Amino acid sequence: MSILNIKNIHLSIEDKSILKGVSLNVNPGEVHAIMGPNGSGKSTLSYILSGKEGYELSSGNIYFDNKDLLELSANERSNQGLFLAFQYPVELPGVSSMNFLREAVNVRRKFLGKKELNHLEFVKEARRLASSMFIKDEMLKRSVNVGFSGGEKKRFEILQMMLLEPKLAILDETDSGLDVDALKIVSNGVNNYKGKDNAVIVITHYQRLLDYIVPDYVHILADGVIKKSGGPELAKIIEKNGYAGIVDAA
Amino acid sequence: MQRKHNDFSKAIKKHVNENYLKDDDRRSFLNNFSDWPSPTNEKWRLSRLGKLARKSFIPYVSSSKKIKETSATNEDFFSLVFINGIFCKESSDKLPKEIEMSFLSAKDLISNLRDVNNRSVLNHPTLNITGSCFQDFIKLKIKANCSIAKPIELLQTGNCPHNSIHPLILIEVEKNSKIKILEKFKTNVALNAPLQILKLEKNSKIEFIKFHNDDSETTNLSLLISFLKEDATCNIFNLINGGAFTRSETHSYLKGKNSSMNLNCVYLSTDSQHHDVTSSIYHDFPNCNSSQKVRGVLNKNSTGVFQGKIRVEKKAQKTNAQQMSRALILSDKALSNSKPELEIYADDVVCSHGATVGELDEEQIFYFLSRGIDKQKARFMMIEAFLSEIIEESVDKVFLDEVLNETEIAFKKILEN
Ligand SMILES: Nc1ncnc2c1ncn2[C@@H]1O[C@H](COP(=O)(O)OP(=O)(O)OP(=O)(O)O)[C@@H](O)[C@H]1O
Ligand SMILES: [Mg+2]
Repeated sequence: MSILNIKNIHLSIEDKSILKGVSLNVNPGEVHAIMGPNGSGKSTLSYILSGKEGYELSSGNIYFDNKDLLELSANERSNQGLFLAFQYPVELPGVSSMNFLREAVNVRRKFLGKKELNHLEFVKEARRLASSMFIKDEMLKRSVNVGFSGGEKKRFEILQMMLLEPKLAILDETDSGLDVDALKIVSNGVNNYKGKDNAVIVITHYQRLLDYIVPDYVHILADGVIKKSGGPELAKIIEKNGYAGIVDAA
Repeated sequence: MQRKHNDFSKAIKKHVNENYLKDDDRRSFLNNFSDWPSPTNEKWRLSRLGKLARKSFIPYVSSSKKIKETSATNEDFFSLVFINGIFCKESSDKLPKEIEMSFLSAKDLISNLRDVNNRSVLNHPTLNITGSCFQDFIKLKIKANCSIAKPIELLQTGNCPHNSIHPLILIEVEKNSKIKILEKFKTNVALNAPLQILKLEKNSKIEFIKFHNDDSETTNLSLLISFLKEDATCNIFNLINGGAFTRSETHSYLKGKNSSMNLNCVYLSTDSQHHDVTSSIYHDFPNCNSSQKVRGVLNKNSTGVFQGKIRVEKKAQKTNAQQMSRALILSDKALSNSKPELEIYADDVVCSHGATVGELDEEQIFYFLSRGIDKQKARFMMIEAFLSEIIEESVDKVFLDEVLNETEIAFKKILEN
């Protein structure tokens, strides 16, 4: 029984064909890496999955946890356990991180039939997980992502993932802009969250991340399709040779 | 072709003749009012009074019959209650001995405005109709060297849909004194035309919060004039959400060095409401600060206006003046206008101004959605953030909860469909 089943999806934006028949199956307990040249549609795929407006398919189907994903609105998808760590996290001036996180966590808990956390309970939990991500309390008092460094934003995304405990986490270039230590922290966070009942899709350009978060499968997205799939060794080949021989134009 | 105006100048002439025949000082204000400002008047171009001009109403006169009184209940304030612009002693709290209250005449009004020479003030309809038609002219004097911790609450109520009302107050803060005031306009009248004068003596301070929350048919034309001496600080925060048409106009004269005028505002508009924040700050002395920051949220067919003027005289070196207006538009029929006016004659000054008008950002909304928070809640949290930033920056601690609360009620209302 798969967590995510993408069946032959097509998408165009403003008459430009971006995805031309992508299929992908993700089972519980698996880690999939998606690689591919700039502009090949990796982030687009993550937006389709998370239900962003303007990213409606022209054809194809997606099933998430045996439900028709395309029937769900963006917030419902999150409620059901789909999480996206943004390539470019969005700043929310004036919205305190703590309030934002609490709202998100309580919506998810409500959906799962769990009791909502009161302010104190929540603060305790948030601080505990934040410290495991080396995020200072002071940062949680600030507006969401405002004035956060590149690396802090990425760690804050992973903190949100930990708090929301999704079934499927899609990490879009969470490694970019991280220093070596932060890369380890983030990878640790992901590895601790990963279990037999959930799954992770990591979108990355670098083999480096995959030394820490070891994928079961590596897929190359190029020219609107998954050009090639393989094991971790595929990432190493690309690290060495680039996309030559895989991608038409490379 | 303009539709016919009701002749309000005739109505007030009659009113003054009937009630204050011998009062030449009132008549001097009366003579300055011939009609409502026309749309060709630059100061009123963006906020037109045609609808008011066509309405038929006369100034309110107190009748002997007892009106049902709202009485002050809030323990946290010294409350002063006004009904239809008339001070209501029975419903009001007794003031502490540091605050002296008295009643003034039209002559006193003239003498207190001696230093004003701007045409936009002298020709302002509120000045002239309230100067001629007021019933009570209250003066509150905060004696020197007093810091009064418990705030004053001015409750401006009213219920006479076919009348204009003319609240008139002078607040004088003597040197080294501090006072905090919360004023609430909550009237159901044809026209609410409050005139207020603040005089801040050396090193005095006022924190002044004003809620403009009149009935949906009411026009409110508030005019506030403040004078600041050396080292004085005047912090005013306006919340405008009521009325069919509300214009809150302020003129501040910085008449001593190191004085500081902060005039920030939030307006929340929906349906066909029109809200106008007009302010002029006159920097006449060196080393003074001023800030005019306005944030508006507009839904449906509403319109918002910010006209902010900063005038820096030649000798007002080292002036620091900031002005910023931001409007959030929630409907494609809502409109916000902003008109900065900077007249700077000194060379060593820091002046900044800017204006933005925008919609809620879709990328930001999507970030909320991606975390499971629904669209309605996301909009709510974003508007709350937009407003609380300025409120927290502008409002004194003692009023913060009340202002946040009142704002939340108001913006929940404008989010309704
Ligand atoms: N909203 C949009 N409007 C127009 N074009 C878009 C939009 N979204 C994506 N595209 C285009 O789709 C293509 C794929 O973009 P996408 O961001 O998915 O690439 P990517 O694989 O994530 O690239 P990178 O590795 O640089 O992050 C690009 O050519 C991009 O310009
Ligand atoms: Mg991308």
